Amino acid sequence: MQTKILLDEDHMPRRWYNILADLPSPLDPPLHPATGKPLVPDDLRPIFPMELIRQEMSDRKFIDIPADVQDVLRLWRPSPLFRAYRLEKYLKTPARIYYKYEGVSPPGSHKPNTAVPQAYYNMKEGIERIATETGAGQWGSALAFATQIFGLACTIYMVRSSYAQKPYRKSMMQVWGAECIPSPSTKTKAGKAVLEKDPETTGSLGIAISEAVEDAVTHSNTNYSLGSVLNHVCLHQTVIGQECREQLAAVDEYPDVVIGCVGGGSNFAGISFPFAGDKLKGTHRDIDIIAVEPASCPTLTKGLYTYDFGDVAGLTPLLKMFTLGHDFVPPSIHAGGLRYHGDSPIVSRLVHDGVMRAISYHQTEVFDAAQVFARTEGIIVAPEASHAVKAAIDQAARCRESGEEKTILFNCSGHGNFDMSAYDAYYAGQLVDYEYPDQLIRESLARIPKVGGHD
Amino acid sequence: MHTVGFLVNPVAGMGGAVGLKGTDGLVAEAIRRGAQPRAPRRAEETARLLRGLPARFLTSAGPMGEEVLIRAGIGDYEVVYTPPGRETGPDDTKATCRAFLERGVELILFCGGDGTARDIYSVVGDSIPLLGIPAGVKMYSGVFAVTPAAAAEILRQGWGAGRTLHCQDAEVVDVDEEAYRQGTLSTRIFGIARTPYRPGFSQLSKQVFEDPDEERAKKEIARFLREVMEGTPDILYILGPGGTTAAIAGELGIKKTILGFDAVKAGRLEGLDLNEGDIRALLGHHPRARLVVSILGAQGAVLGRGTQQISPSVIRTIGKDNIIVVATPHKLAKTPFVFIDTGDRELDREFGEFITVVTGYRVARRVRVAGSGEPHGSP
Repeated sequence: MQTKILLDEDHMPRRWYNILADLPSPLDPPLHPATGKPLVPDDLRPIFPMELIRQEMSDRKFIDIPADVQDVLRLWRPSPLFRAYRLEKYLKTPARIYYKYEGVSPPGSHKPNTAVPQAYYNMKEGIERIATETGAGQWGSALAFATQIFGLACTIYMVRSSYAQKPYRKSMMQVWGAECIPSPSTKTKAGKAVLEKDPETTGSLGIAISEAVEDAVTHSNTNYSLGSVLNHVCLHQTVIGQECREQLAAVDEYPDVVIGCVGGGSNFAGISFPFAGDKLKGTHRDIDIIAVEPASCPTLTKGLYTYDFGDVAGLTPLLKMFTLGHDFVPPSIHAGGLRYHGDSPIVSRLVHDGVMRAISYHQTEVFDAAQVFARTEGIIVAPEASHAVKAAIDQAARCRESGEEKTILFNCSGHGNFDMSAYDAYYAGQLVDYEYPDQLIRESLARIPKVGGHD
Repeated sequence: MHTVGFLVNPVAGMGGAVGLKGTDGLVAEAIRRGAQPRAPRRAEETARLLRGLPARFLTSAGPMGEEVLIRAGIGDYEVVYTPPGRETGPDDTKATCRAFLERGVELILFCGGDGTARDIYSVVGDSIPLLGIPAGVKMYSGVFAVTPAAAAEILRQGWGAGRTLHCQDAEVVDVDEEAYRQGTLSTRIFGIARTPYRPGFSQLSKQVFEDPDEERAKKEIARFLREVMEGTPDILYILGPGGTTAAIAGELGIKKTILGFDAVKAGRLEGLDLNEGDIRALLGHHPRARLVVSILGAQGAVLGRGTQQISPSVIRTIGKDNIIVVATPHKLAKTPFVFIDTGDRELDREFGEFITVVTGYRVARRVRVAGSGEPHGSP
């Protein structure tokens, strides 16, 4: 009975897998917000290093991971794959449940898998500082960790309400030498404008993005960095799924079901793209790949597949993706990392094409699942990861009914050690189960003219 | 310096202890049964905690406030009304409130029950906020703090350095005491008052941020519903009573009756303060109709209680899927679950275990429905 399936460091992936190369037709290109024409690399140069722009648009199937990046990833990679024997026993399921645990990284989540290469390429191209935004603080702390390793300064605009509520994420950023500023701030025009209108605003991810982008655009030594959604971010996360495939092979397994939670889509992309590639190539046609999202922000299950902006202000390129509308402000759920109106264009395309499917859950039920997981497997998961836990438990329970011995794999993307106030709220019976009133929203949009006819 | 109108109904709550379920018109009987005044003690508890607050108190002479303030050690007060004798009644409450209005108090802090709230509201309406120190037999109105200490805390917090006193809507509920004594809870909304509350008072708002301003929340709901209504010009919308539905009408540029059911279609008013017959007639002409109702009363009623115009058969005609329930997060924080009491238990059950409540711009919540028909407030 092997509980932990570990890979030697020399089995850590040396290449990222680019699923764009295996799509039957190219992805619809991102469009310039002003001209409506497909983006060209130069459009992105003011905020991204050239190598990341190349990766964003690459159709090469594999992209080498630089040796210096591998050295840093080795601090925690390859991450362990666990067989959840205790959870299986508790559920009395014939299914075999495996989970990849990304909480072993120094910042405690999958985020440094992309923060490290992003910091590296910026350093290589002479950039001295990176500006970014963070909601709940996972991404901010990961980028703080990564920039510090490569000697870059880092400025993080943290959504004001989280800044007050998650003091320890902020402390971590400080330990790793980053500057963490509550957003909206007086450092940017965008921030000042919001503050003038509403000094008591709670801030939002959309506002924080605008501040970070403005900071990058107005300082020549500074670039911008994004922790999810974009192709190169999903690419960097594929180390997760590649390791899983090898770890499962070591115990003669291949998953029937692959599960991950989805906000912008990066941890889900990480675990699922290598398997989705197998499905696209036809070697494993029957694999069931499930994206799990919050019922309060059901982008993939209730959104539209169309071109939309990535931010509230409408400054970013238009991306073809599932979206709830760039002006949709998702309610304040505890899984802050899943509060995004859009989704990765690649994940969106694969869901649209039926290569993957999406489901959604309410807050209370995912915390029920997280509690079961903590009391069987021991790990107190982040509220985001609890969505994946819930889906895995439901799949396993279905196997109990049907008697199927499925192999279920899910990504346990981070620990919840800094999210205990969310658990406190759960135990106090104070979690709010938000809904997305999709029919009313569709009706409310009926009178609004379509932007540019990108449908 | 803040100016507070401080008012005590010295006989409030006396009936409860001696089994009278309310004291309206029964003071003598309560005293005969040996009831002791409790309101002055409760009011004193609050007043003691307000010492040192940058506030001036205007009050009524004798047992209606002055005596309590003296016992609580508050020296900075002024008597604006003197009742004719020791025995006081609703007329004295109302006269005091008129004096408060003349002197421009910014808030009325009172100690009493639903009856006291109703008397005060009948004079001041929603022109200034009311905050109740609970002392009555029944407190279904939303203007009451949970305890005397909580009432003091709300003011201390709201008037502390650099703070703002946040207000929200609260129904003043009229309970039929005679029916209540017979064992039936029959309430109707008497009016919608303004009441201060302390953001962060509940655990919820400590952990998940909510905008402390209820007015803004109402506007967000109204903006969303306006867009929905503009997108569905073929549907007749019947707007129920309450501040949130009034905000929706306001957003459409329509003035609705605060306590009545009004109908709107394609941005045009189709009827005001409709009774059941009016609504039936309208439904006959408009095959597609929706009902927009808010959660009412401190008990969390969605249908029933104060919405008798909407009979079970009206609801069946409209269809339960065409009922849009709206409520601010602030209201839901006070009423974590709701109940549906249409008068037809079969129909109540059809609503199921959860209903969806629109709580903001394009945002809704799943809210648990309490066992149908059973009030869960503590009488």
